[in-house]
Amino acid sequence: MYLSKIALRNLFRRSGRTLIIAGVLAFAIFFAIILETFMAGMMEMSFSNIIDFDSAHLQIARPELFADNEDPLDHLFTPTEEVLTEIEKLPGFVATTPVLDFSANMLAGREEYPVRVRAAAPASFKEVFRYQDYLIEGDFLQAGDSGLVIGMNLAEILDLQVGDFYTLLFREEGGSLNTIQGEILGIAATPEPGMNLGTVIIDQSFAASALGVSSSEINQLKVKMTDRHSAVARSESLEKQLTGSLAKDFQVNSWRDVSDMLVAMEVWGQLETYFIVALILLVGAIGIINVVVLSSLERVEEIGMMKAMGLSEKQIVKIFSIEASGLGVIGGLIGAGLGAVGTYLLVNIGFDLQLLYGDITLELGIPILGTIYGVWKPQSFIIFFTLAVTVALISSLIPSYWAARKDPVDAIYHR
Amino acid sequence: MLVVSLNSEKKINQKLENSVLVSLDSVKKTYEDGKISVRALRGIDLKIAEGEFTTVYGPSGSGKTTLLNLIGALDKPSEGQVKINGSIINELDRNGLALLRRDNIGFVFQSYNLIPVLTAYENVEFALKISSSNNGNPVRNSKERSAQILEQVGLGDMLDRRPNELSGGQKQRVAIARALVKEPRLVLADEPTANLDSKTSKEVLEIMLEMNSKLKTTFIFSTHDPMVMEYAGRLLEIRDGKITREERR
Ligand SMILES: Nc1ncnc2c1ncn2[C@@H]1O[C@H](COP(=O)(O)OP(=O)(O)OP(=O)(O)O)[C@@H](O)[C@H]1O
Ligand SMILES: [Mg+2]
Repeated sequence: MYLSKIALRNLFRRSGRTLIIAGVLAFAIFFAIILETFMAGMMEMSFSNIIDFDSAHLQIARPELFADNEDPLDHLFTPTEEVLTEIEKLPGFVATTPVLDFSANMLAGREEYPVRVRAAAPASFKEVFRYQDYLIEGDFLQAGDSGLVIGMNLAEILDLQVGDFYTLLFREEGGSLNTIQGEILGIAATPEPGMNLGTVIIDQSFAASALGVSSSEINQLKVKMTDRHSAVARSESLEKQLTGSLAKDFQVNSWRDVSDMLVAMEVWGQLETYFIVALILLVGAIGIINVVVLSSLERVEEIGMMKAMGLSEKQIVKIFSIEASGLGVIGGLIGAGLGAVGTYLLVNIGFDLQLLYGDITLELGIPILGTIYGVWKPQSFIIFFTLAVTVALISSLIPSYWAARKDPVDAIYHR
Repeated sequence: MLVVSLNSEKKINQKLENSVLVSLDSVKKTYEDGKISVRALRGIDLKIAEGEFTTVYGPSGSGKTTLLNLIGALDKPSEGQVKINGSIINELDRNGLALLRRDNIGFVFQSYNLIPVLTAYENVEFALKISSSNNGNPVRNSKERSAQILEQVGLGDMLDRRPNELSGGQKQRVAIARALVKEPRLVLADEPTANLDSKTSKEVLEIMLEMNSKLKTTFIFSTHDPMVMEYAGRLLEIRDGKITREERR
């Protein structure tokens, strides 16, 4: 009891020094929390953008399609009733839509640009994706119509407007070149940069006839689920179901399988956070060691007296360790408090990436445009707070032992 | 009959032996200070009985502090044997010495060495609590005892003052209260009056004398001040590491 009393009073006696070191720790914690929030927000948005605009939660296709993306037209299939029923039986199922993706070159005037053409069934497409909500001009697809919906970046590059004519040059299943022509029906600006530039959307029944395939033939079924985390597990059970009891040759991928890059980024983001945290905590540790050494030098006579009174070395170490841990707690609390304020601002006001970096997100391939919102991560508050206290405690031990082992006579007479 | 008388003689001897609290046997202490070695104590033989009030008097550098540190189990002799309350300190390790000090000895130093962040009362109670926190059995009435001992040294109305709010004499009285509160067998005071004016010095010494007669605590204090010398019950004069005069009054 007295040991903590002495420790804590010493902490407040040297309030200037205490504040500086606690400030360093607080800054480390604050910084780490904000970085985590920000990274988590970015990942969250990246994943939901990819899911909402490109991959959906699940994709069902021939295994070859996932293996080789060169000739998507070689891997067509017609979804049977029993396959669709199996999909609809999935717990958490929301909607499914057929997609026929293929590559083409978009010609406009003298310009030519490689794109991915996504042939979609307009009605069910709207139930799975949010693309149609982001039209800035024109209309969305009509069944049977030749109209094309393109992204705003492509429209800019090729200088296209709603009502302009387009030509898509593609290689047929057989290998010969063919074209699709029509009018630009709509222009979309989605938060998913890839969809704004590299993907155009066309009606599936129209595309099928232009491609010379049956209108029921597609190369992917996209499935929307209620929850993206459980979707990952569902993809496996669905694949087992389809290949097992139905004996069909299908592969089921989840959004996570297509977001390899993002998953990797998430890992890197974590590593980066921990690296920065480690760096700042190292600075904090040096500060703590400094404080313990300084205060033990200031209190030599006091330590000497305690030893004369028969305090054990352990008890003296305890005094200094409590003092250092107190620093960790103060720093951790301030840091967590600031972190909470920062997170609140990030969650509610957000952070405009473009303001800071311009169009860099496009170049980096991060599928986010506009404002990033933070995500509350309560566990990072706990982790970083604990980390601060632990670092303070551990880095105090060696200098505390050094102080506690002083010879009592030398200490009392300050020799 | 013969056997009985032999036995009783043994008992008397034992009683005498028991009342010896501290004994030093040809004790020498040499400090190795780089190349030069300083012979601070050059052969001390000394017995101190329980309840004695001893003054160690000598000029600066004569070896008073060195002697008190050995008697206080703060340091070990280079040669010879120091026995405190039956324990031979030569044989104890750091922890053993700490325990011996905790359970038997109270210290008062010239520079008071109070814990600055604790009040007068807390400084005293802390000394009492250390022993309880170490061996597990709580000290009873630590509050009353601490307040009472401060009362006895005349600081009853200054319990809540921090050391920096006390005068030198008051600080030294807190230090004495702290040394006495756990009722040790032995209190060692190394030049307790060196930083005090003569009036305050007298007050402090009178308090020590009073405690000595009231609590039967053994006191050993050192001084180089001839004025202070006269308070001694037993006077040891020390010069160049040797006891040169011994006197009982
Ligand atoms: N740690 C040490 N290292 C070297 N020499 C020491 C040490 N401690 C004491 N001495 C020497 O031992 C001798 C006795 O010192 P001591 O402190 O016991 O004297 P003292 O009688 O207490 O003197 P004072 O009245 O000045 O306090 C002195 O010559 C001193 O210089
Ligand atoms: Mg001295």
